[in-house]
Amino acid sequence: MNIILFLCLITAALSALFALVRQYQMLQQNSYFPSRYAAWVKESYSLPLCAECIAFCASSLLFGQELYAVQLAFLAAVLAVRTVSAVRTQKKSVKKLVFTGRIKRLFAAAVILLAVFTAVYAVFPETLAGEIFTVIVFMLSFISPLLTLLCRLLTAPAEKAIASWYVNDAKRILKEHKNLTVIGVTGSYGKTSVKFILQRLLSEKYNVVATPHSFNTPMGVVRTIRENLKPQTQIFICEMGAKNIGDIKEICDIVHPKYGIITSVGPQHLETFGSVDNVYKTKFELADEVIKNGGEVFVSGDSAELIKRTDPSLYRVYGTDKSFEFRARDISYSKNGSEFTAVLGKEEIRLSSKLLGLHSIINITGAAALAFTLGTEPEDIKFAAAALKPTEHRLELKPYINGSTLIDDAYNANPEGCIEAVRVLASFDGMKKVIVTPGLIELGSKEYECNFALGAEAAEKCDIIILVGKNRSKPIREGAESKGFPQENLFTVSSFREAMQIYTPMADSGTVVLFENDLPDNYLN
Amino acid sequence: MKTNIAVFFGCRSVEHEVSIISAVQAMNAVNRDKYDITPVYVTKDGEMYTGEPLFTVENFRDLPLLLKNCEPVIFERRNGAVHMVYRNGGLFSRKKDVTVDLAFPVVHGTNCEDGTMSGYFEFLGLPYIGCDIISAAVGMDKAVFKDVLRSAGLPVLDCVTFRSRDYAADKNAVISEITEKIGFPLIIKPVNLGSSVGISKVNDKDGLEAAVSLAASFADRILAEHAVTALREINCSVIGDADRCEASVLEEPFMHDEILSYADKYMSGSKGGASKGMASLGRRIPAELSPEKTEEIRKIACDIFKAIGASGVVRIDFLLDTESGAVYANEINTIPGSLSFYLWEPAGLKYTDMIDRLVEIAFKRQRSRENLTYTIDTNILSGVSFGKAGAKGAKF
Repeated sequence: MNIILFLCLITAALSALFALVRQYQMLQQNSYFPSRYAAWVKESYSLPLCAECIAFCASSLLFGQELYAVQLAFLAAVLAVRTVSAVRTQKKSVKKLVFTGRIKRLFAAAVILLAVFTAVYAVFPETLAGEIFTVIVFMLSFISPLLTLLCRLLTAPAEKAIASWYVNDAKRILKEHKNLTVIGVTGSYGKTSVKFILQRLLSEKYNVVATPHSFNTPMGVVRTIRENLKPQTQIFICEMGAKNIGDIKEICDIVHPKYGIITSVGPQHLETFGSVDNVYKTKFELADEVIKNGGEVFVSGDSAELIKRTDPSLYRVYGTDKSFEFRARDISYSKNGSEFTAVLGKEEIRLSSKLLGLHSIINITGAAALAFTLGTEPEDIKFAAAALKPTEHRLELKPYINGSTLIDDAYNANPEGCIEAVRVLASFDGMKKVIVTPGLIELGSKEYECNFALGAEAAEKCDIIILVGKNRSKPIREGAESKGFPQENLFTVSSFREAMQIYTPMADSGTVVLFENDLPDNYLN
Repeated sequence: MKTNIAVFFGCRSVEHEVSIISAVQAMNAVNRDKYDITPVYVTKDGEMYTGEPLFTVENFRDLPLLLKNCEPVIFERRNGAVHMVYRNGGLFSRKKDVTVDLAFPVVHGTNCEDGTMSGYFEFLGLPYIGCDIISAAVGMDKAVFKDVLRSAGLPVLDCVTFRSRDYAADKNAVISEITEKIGFPLIIKPVNLGSSVGISKVNDKDGLEAAVSLAASFADRILAEHAVTALREINCSVIGDADRCEASVLEEPFMHDEILSYADKYMSGSKGGASKGMASLGRRIPAELSPEKTEEIRKIACDIFKAIGASGVVRIDFLLDTESGAVYANEINTIPGSLSFYLWEPAGLKYTDMIDRLVEIAFKRQRSRENLTYTIDTNILSGVSFGKAGAKGAKF
């Protein structure tokens, strides 16, 4: 055995482990889907990948020429670069690699793989097998995405077994909770909001646990059951997300909901669903399960794509129309938030809330309908509705510079939501209305149409329009111009900072400004 | 998976034994299909013990033997939950920690019922049944209780309070104040004891000395109030919280003496047998009163409950002046003997179901607290540097 070559192999393997930090970080952030990770490699890692391939060729060349000492020096340099780069990128990253059990198992797989192949060389140094495995070690060490995918593949059976153990454990816990009522919440838009509103309303009467944040995958649900459910928990609210047909059923098979809320059906995740019909079918997997369990399903009558595909007599419908069993009427907005009357069958409650927008009012109505059905007192619903806190950056009402009022809707990404935000802005009677927006993105073929509509709506409802990003905001500008919006009130700037330079001098206590969609996190500083 | 309720009882209190009786009754009434019970006996020294023998009242006759058969424990908060930790045993022989979901204090008197125990649970972050710190403290101090009720416009007898030290320093000044403002006959009592301990009725100046010195041995603040001569004592229990509460049927305890003494309350019927606590006291349920009077007292009881911000089940004792028809709130027991279950069963609420309700009320309070903002996520220290001026010069 050649000691220097052996050292070469060890050095290469070590450098691979450092390179994996970045790769595993991205694998983790792509939810361990090889396809999504591969897309990241294609998109953002193609140049470094080329460099890795060239380095592998160079190293192979030196190996072929038996220039082991030179190769060792080269590999040492690679190790140094990769170490520094791993430490640096982790420091700089906003979302760092989290060393979960799964990541540790992936690293263990890499270590075992490289160690075994290196050992083959050490045991059979002068054979063809020894040489082949030497090249394999170099190849895996240099080309880090290859090693990543291989380790992902090798750990798959173990991960599957671990996941199914967790699922069974969660099922066992639910079985032991004899008096637990499970509520499923799904929908293309608004499910997270409805979940939190429902949790707040029901907590007036019951011990409630809901899936935190926007945990809505089977494993997120399983984790919530295992970590958050307490013996005294009476109601478990489970948000159910879907990207493919069958996703909702998979969660239902774990939790068996007795009640369900379907907030909307819309053209979301069409790249995986293919059609809105499939979205509808998937969302209504929840309805099928709830009815099978003898429970009741609440659906939003205001979601056009939902209601046109279903027979409303099968479900308990909530929304704004007179014909609905549960509805909101006499809606008004002010600086203090919104006010409306919730009609819950025979009961009528005047509710006030800091939440703005018709969709919020519909969400509250839906949650109130279910909370009322489960025995929450009207006066408790009233109290809890007033205590609801807006989600950050979702139509959040705040005081702003020079005594003006800010409607912060920076996290909105939904076309209907944007139009609704403009309508909320318009409801501030007698105030100067300003909108700051870069427009909507990632809507595929509908992107132009949606932005044009946003521009047209803004032209009719706003006094000042400030667009961020010259090219990006072009469709909005055209939409505004189509309605004859005066040029002198339409500004196009290249950054949020510039937008503020225009806004600040015009802001006073009679001004309300709407920040719409996708503005940088630190824009309030 | 059952909710584990830790029942605390005993404690450093003159009503130690009464608490044992109340607690054993309560533990036997709990629905064991729904809840696990962890008994926690607090000795007169303030040490905490757990164990199976604590479920049987007879075992308390031989305390050293009882404690030998139980295990000393402590409570600690860890990873967002409260655990009961066994103190004895080595690394391997020590019993596994027990997670506690809810505390159920069945304690009477000072050092526990007065908010001390509530404070302990608040500090641990453990949900608990019954009054919070302030309502329990107000309920225990008869003078403060009267002040709170008076400012809420609720009926109480006028009183004079004084410190036993001031009485010792200038007896005549205190006596003349009492005589002037209250007049005889009057009642002397320590401000902070339940179960009628240290209370006496005084008909003239001669009896005052002995009454004050008896009261002074239990508390350093003493209260003097007018004694209603044409007196009926009426008790009413209230269950709920400040949002919603409900009054029980009324009871009228029979008085052997002029005022219901500790002996009357807890030692009656104990000839040879074990005392059965408040539940066995001679009384008439419901009290014989006109429907109007009954409703008046029940309404005042709920108003008092809300005025002090009580929670759980309490018993409020009223004085009824049979000549004038006036009703006065005399005192509140924030953890009444036998938890007043005998006032709820006549109305159809079984003791087991009553405890269920107490558990619900406790969790409700916990939830409404979780919905309030207690901590601000921003760390003000992150933006602070002491600079050259040093720590003394720092301004926040």
